[in-house]
Order: sequence, then C-alpha cells, then structure tokens
Amino acid sequence: MRIGITVLSIISFVLSVAFITDYYKLEYAEYFPEPLYNFEKNPLTTEKVTLGQALFYDPILSEDNTISCSSCHSPYNAFAHTDHDLSHGIRDSIGTRNAPALFNLAWHESFMWDGAINHLDMQSLAPISHPGEMGETIKNVVEKLQYKAIYPPLFLKAFGDSTVTGEHVLKALAQFQLTLVSDGAKYDAVKRGEVTFSPQEANGYALFQKHCNSCHTEPLFTNGQFANNGLPVDTTLNDYGRWIITKKSEDSLLFKVPTLRNLSYTFPYMHDGRFRKIRHVLNHYTEGIHLTSTTAKQLKENLELTSNEKTDLVAFLLTLDDKNFVFDQKHQYPKAILN
Amino acid sequence: MRYIACHVFLLCVTYLSAQSSEFFINFQPTFEGEVVVYNEENRLEKDGDIQIETLKFYISNIELFNGDQLVFSEKDSYHLLDIESPESFSLDLNTPPKLSFTSIKFDVGVDSLTNVSGAFGGDLDPTNGMYWTWQSGYINFKLEGVATDCPARHNRFVYHIGGYEAPHRPLQTIELGIETDTEIAIEISMDKIFETINVAEQYHIMRPGEEALAFSKLFTSIFSISK
Repeated sequence: MRIGITVLSIISFVLSVAFITDYYKLEYAEYFPEPLYNFEKNPLTTEKVTLGQALFYDPILSEDNTISCSSCHSPYNAFAHTDHDLSHGIRDSIGTRNAPALFNLAWHESFMWDGAINHLDMQSLAPISHPGEMGETIKNVVEKLQYKAIYPPLFLKAFGDSTVTGEHVLKALAQFQLTLVSDGAKYDAVKRGEVTFSPQEANGYALFQKHCNSCHTEPLFTNGQFANNGLPVDTTLNDYGRWIITKKSEDSLLFKVPTLRNLSYTFPYMHDGRFRKIRHVLNHYTEGIHLTSTTAKQLKENLELTSNEKTDLVAFLLTLDDKNFVFDQKHQYPKAILN
Repeated sequence: MRYIACHVFLLCVTYLSAQSSEFFINFQPTFEGEVVVYNEENRLEKDGDIQIETLKFYISNIELFNGDQLVFSEKDSYHLLDIESPESFSLDLNTPPKLSFTSIKFDVGVDSLTNVSGAFGGDLDPTNGMYWTWQSGYINFKLEGVATDCPARHNRFVYHIGGYEAPHRPLQTIELGIETDTEIAIEISMDKIFETINVAEQYHIMRPGEEALAFSKLFTSIFSISK
C-alpha cells in the first residue's frame, strides 16, 4: 500500500512539475490588509488565470451563447455596467440589481449585494444558473467547453487534465477575478508619497474620514459588512436585501457596503442603480434618509454637508478613480485566445 | 531488465493485495418494507400513491469503531449516492487487514467547513446538481417525486435538505452497530420519511431553515442495518 502511494505521489509530482510551473504573484499595495481568499487551496498560476480570463469573456457560459461575464462586468467600467441600473441577461431579460464592480475581490468574505455567496470560487454559479442572467447549468457549461476546441488544451495546461470539470471551471474563473486589483488611483499615489492632494481634495478627504469612513473604510473603501443606508424600498422591486438570505428581521433592507473606488466608471449607484450621479448619492445622505428599525446607526440623522463641502467631497472621491486599472490591457478581452 | 521490472511489478501487486483489506457497505432503499430498485420508468414505486423519481444524498465522514475506540476513518470521505447510478449505493472502504470493529458512524450531508471552502471535484463537484446556485451551500439530501395526495403542480413534491449555518445545520450523524467485518447492508426506509412527512401538507422544502432542519432529524431513524 505504502509503495503504491509512493509511486503515485512520484508520478503526480512529475506531472505537476511538467504542467504547473508558472506561479502568478498577486501584487497589491503594501497598505492593503492581508487577503481573505485562501490562496493555498487554489494557488494562482499564469495558466489558470489565462484560462479564467478566456472563460470570463466567452459567451459560451450562457444558455444561448450570447452573454458573457464581461457583458455586465466590462473592463472599461471597472468591471461594472455603466448606464444600466439593473443587470441584463439572455433574451433581454432584466434583473433586479445593479451589477457590482469586480476588483479587490480577494479581500471579500461574501459576495453579492445580499451576501448570498460565501466564497469567490462558488460565485460564478449564481449568474451562470440564474434564468434572468445566463440561464445555463454548470453541467452544460462543462460539456460545451469540452467540445470547443480551444478549451481542452487550456485545461490541460492549467490543471494537468484536459477533462473539463465544474471545479476547474469555477477555480479558473475565480483566479482571473482575483488578479483584478485596483490600487493605482491618485489616492494610492498620495499614500505612497508620490503626489499630494489639492487643497480641495484634502478638505474632501477630511470630510470623508469624518462622515464616510466607518462603513467605506480605507484603503479598500468598504468594511465588507451589510448596512441599511436609508433608501426607501423601490416598490417595483421589493428587494429586502440580506433578509432574503437570513430571514432575520434585523437584516431587512441591509445590503453589502460597496467600495467607493472607481466611482466615475461604475455609475449608476446603489443596489438598484437608482442614483446616476455621485452628487445624487450625497443628496440622499443629507436629505433623503428613510428611517426604519434597521437603518445604520451612523445615519439615524441626515448628514450635514454644505454645497461647497459636497463639491470638495466629490473632488476627493474622484481621486479613487484608477485609470491604470481600468485601461490595463492585461485584464481585457483575450484576443489571442478567443479571436 | 524487462524481466526484473516485471518481477518488481508482480511483487508490488502481491504486496498491495496482501496489505489492503476491503469492507463493503451496500445501501438499500426500501419502500413498503421491500428493497426497491430504480426501474425503467425511472422511478421507485410500490403501490402507486407515491413515486420517487430523485433520491440523491451525501454520505460522508465514515468512521469505524471497536467499542468506544476509533479504529478507522476514511480519507476524503464524501460519497454521493444517486438512485440513477445504482453502483453509487455500494461503497468499498479500504480498511487495514484484520481490523475488528463493532460500529459504524457516518454523516448524511456535507460538513460546514467544506461548505465554506470553495470548489471541490469528484462527488463534490457542483455539476452533480447538489450545490445551490442562488446562495452558497450543498444540498445534503434530495428527494423528489410525485404523490397522488400532493396538491402542488403536477403533484410533484420537492425536498432539498441543506444548510450549514447555525442554527439550521441539518447535517446528521448516524451510528449503527455491526456484527460482520466484510460486508454490511444498510437499509434506508422511505416509509419512515412518508410516515412523518405528509405530502398533502408539506411538499416543498428548498432552502435552509427550520423545515429543512426538522426534516433532517428523520435521517437518524431511516438508516438501519438490514438483517
């Protein structure tokens, strides 16, 4: 038995050396906290990231081969969907929530506006399977990929096995998304001491720290928690957020706190995309808070901001736009693979 | 050279076969007291009032005990049993030779840690249709079919029992005494499920919660050693 195991492990070692050599080093700002994603269980390799990138941009994941992940998570919108309040799916179906921006995902411990998903590996199952998004099953996706000529060799390179499996599809998709790190905004250059804020931005930063930082916590600009930020229910959607998952009354109307990075690329805002401008969001916090039993304690009273202060705050928020990330070729459509 | 290699190979095979022992477990669904098999109409049925079309569940974390002492625990012990693949109902444990044991313990479902640890392959691969997509988590036990008394559309009942977060963790541990060390048959009584669950009143359980937890408590009584 022991000899058998030794022989097997030598064979698997040789195979793994032959196929998986190129580890991908995830780089991020030194002032970022430790990632929450467990990279030991799914170590990044260039081959897996490449495969994940092909899958991310390939509409083969949807039932009628028309919608890819990038349809609603476009690289030019910081992987959100500018202009669309609610997400789109196959056959022009419209969802119930705004497609969130995808970056810095290694620092999240739950996913979706309501935290329905507990691990990045499993996140893709939701849009793939949702009838109003991709309307497909992971089982069919696996079969379709097996018969599309480009994929078996990519799976072989990435996982040492040309047989496509659900596990490998999901892990590869997670790997590509993990490489989407946004830490190159002006704010980051200031943190690194390369430039300084203008007086207006500096004033906006002070206001941000006073009024916003407890939920939109630096340097990721989200605390990863759920909160009711005082939005009245849209009665065309009746979306109660986190409550749908936990069925606990204290979770009614709580939604995941989104990051404030890349706001210029990710409008409209809020879980249902109800606000088109950053200014509208600030106006909500100064005069639109709708109180219920679950409203965040920081928002029990409207924020007090003058018109000039709002302008300064917006100036600061724009320093969180990361052009380097949004226009980085390496995250974009993999022409060499998908044509 | 080839001769030597051949000898080494044969020695290995002899050594391996001498060192490993086997213990077989056959799970047998019973309905109205009789063992039922998946028939050509793709159902388990007896008198026609209730027809079971889907029966899929996880058996995991298998351990063997001699008295109070743990003598064997299976590595990566996750098995998906599916009536559509009758062979999945026979498990083969590679136990060490001359192992004595008096009881077996296993879980029905998938543990919480696995539920929060991302993607897995094999029996845990999400392509097996035992992973929820709208929220994370494995379905521990899936039972679907048609019952004359079921008021749902097309008389269909659907029980998807799962969940991993307190207080609604339906993972149940089963412990059974055994008298042989080569092969056992474990009966799974469908009758006991339908004695407690009234398909006329409760016919859809498809999310974690109180109802799924209550349903899962039945598991501790439906498994027994076949005599």
